[in-house]
Amino acid sequence: MTEMLSYEFMQNAFIAGFIIAILASVSGTFVVLRRYSMISETLAHSALVGVAVGLVSGYNPLWVAVVVALLSAWLIEYLRSSFALYSDAVLAILLSGSLALAVIIVSLGGAFNNSLFSYLFGSILSVSKEDVIVIVVVGSASLALLLAYSKELYFIAYDEEVAQTSGIQVKLLNFILVSVVAVIIALSIRVVGSLLIGALMVIPTVSALQFKQGFKNTTLLALSFALVSVAFGMTLSYEYSLPSGATIVLCVLMLFVISLVLNNSKR
Amino acid sequence: MKFHVPIFEVKNLNFDVGTQRILSNISLEILKGEFIAIIGPNGGGKTTLIRMLLGLDKPTSGEIMIYGKKLNRFKKWDKIGFVPQRASHVDSNFPATVQDIVNMGRTSKRGLFSSMSTHDKELVNDAMIKMDVLNLKDKMIGTLSGGQRQRVMIARALASSPEILILDEPNTGVDVVSQNRFYALLRSLNKDENITIVFITHDIGVIADDIARLFTINQKITICNNPKQTLSCEDMSLLYGFDAHLIHNHKHDH
Ligand SMILES: Nc1ncnc2c1ncn2[C@@H]1O[C@H](COP(=O)(O)OP(=O)(O)O)[C@@H](O)[C@H]1O
Ligand SMILES: [Mg+2]
Repeated sequence: MTEMLSYEFMQNAFIAGFIIAILASVSGTFVVLRRYSMISETLAHSALVGVAVGLVSGYNPLWVAVVVALLSAWLIEYLRSSFALYSDAVLAILLSGSLALAVIIVSLGGAFNNSLFSYLFGSILSVSKEDVIVIVVVGSASLALLLAYSKELYFIAYDEEVAQTSGIQVKLLNFILVSVVAVIIALSIRVVGSLLIGALMVIPTVSALQFKQGFKNTTLLALSFALVSVAFGMTLSYEYSLPSGATIVLCVLMLFVISLVLNNSKR
Repeated sequence: MKFHVPIFEVKNLNFDVGTQRILSNISLEILKGEFIAIIGPNGGGKTTLIRMLLGLDKPTSGEIMIYGKKLNRFKKWDKIGFVPQRASHVDSNFPATVQDIVNMGRTSKRGLFSSMSTHDKELVNDAMIKMDVLNLKDKMIGTLSGGQRQRVMIARALASSPEILILDEPNTGVDVVSQNRFYALLRSLNKDENITIVFITHDIGVIADDIARLFTINQKITICNNPKQTLSCEDMSLLYGFDAHLIHNHKHDH
């Protein structure tokens, strides 16, 4: 353990991992309650287009991913408001379209190799000092926005129409939520991978919901589950040289199963 | 008795879905301090009218003013407390205690980041006492009965200390004993706290004496300015197809 933490790359990975655990679980509460899980999945694939552009062009893939995910979030909001009836179809189209585009960009650029693999499933080896700084700075800003509007987002999640008639700017807040989620997903790709970040957003909250607690306790439970999973998952990833996203998601799944069992045997 | 201050002014409102007319040429005013009851048959358009007043649906034509402003220019929505129809149908897994829900009533009055002030907490507490849900405050909303949930939703609206309270059939599923308490509460909110009340209901018998005016809605609107003389109102209601016996029967019970 102390040996593991004596490496600088592991220190980077742990700092980045814990921040991502906080961001993913707090935003995940709203993602789950607003039934935005599919949106987060789509954004994760859009972010991959940014990664591909970054890998091929030589810009930091993390930055490009943040920008592309944001643009994609706004496109989704625009399409969803214009074609309300088919919003899940719109998401499915964007999801596979993004993946196809990312693969083509990477193939044409001759970068179809391990580094793409690490963006799909996460890698602790690849977290640089610069990544940590981006994650800390942009992540704190995202978290601040979420916390600033958490009571409004919670009200909207419970009853969008009553929230609107009580003077809450529902459209603006939906836009802010989707934007923040896009940024958080892009930031998480390094550690968790684009195919697995959706799980880290959704499963801690779904596990916490099993305990049937109020808002505060549910959020705190989800947060603890995410932190514990990231800590264990990254340790496993280090010990057995496995992709960190995969080990983290397996840990969070374990906690989910435990939550299910605990709460169904109580009755 | 009251100053003539209109809160809602509706002129020639129509609403069509496809070729079907749902609301036809509705004009009305709701004045500050009034206690208005709205009755009408199921599907008559009561809920639709309220949703338009609140900007949740757009009329096909016509004009809606709130506090003298065009609806799309109106900003002070926190003056309005709204309890929608079927508000008690919630996702039973939603992570909220009764207290969490009633706290929502304060949301638009609090600043960014700010936690509940002592004043906020008092208002939430008062609202829970008024609706008799204080003893449930740590219970999960999903575990309550329909009637209890309905009371929690009304408590949330009250916690926002509204100037006008709009209730869409809030008393379906509430037992008779708490109904009487509920009517007494509405009466006191209107008389003592001067809250304007718009009350959509199937059952105006018990409160007929408190109502300033009665609107009957069945695609068209019939406004009865003196509901105490129910005879003429009943005739009008019948004209528009509403089963006015409901009112009649309850008068006898009373
Ligand atoms: N957006 C809409 N689309 C289709 N039908 C609608 C819509 N809004 C209202 N209606 C119809 O309008 C009629 C009035 O409904 P409603 O306002 O709920 O009546 P009430 O509340 O008096 O029971 C119903 O027939 C309903 O189906
Ligand atoms: Mg109705």
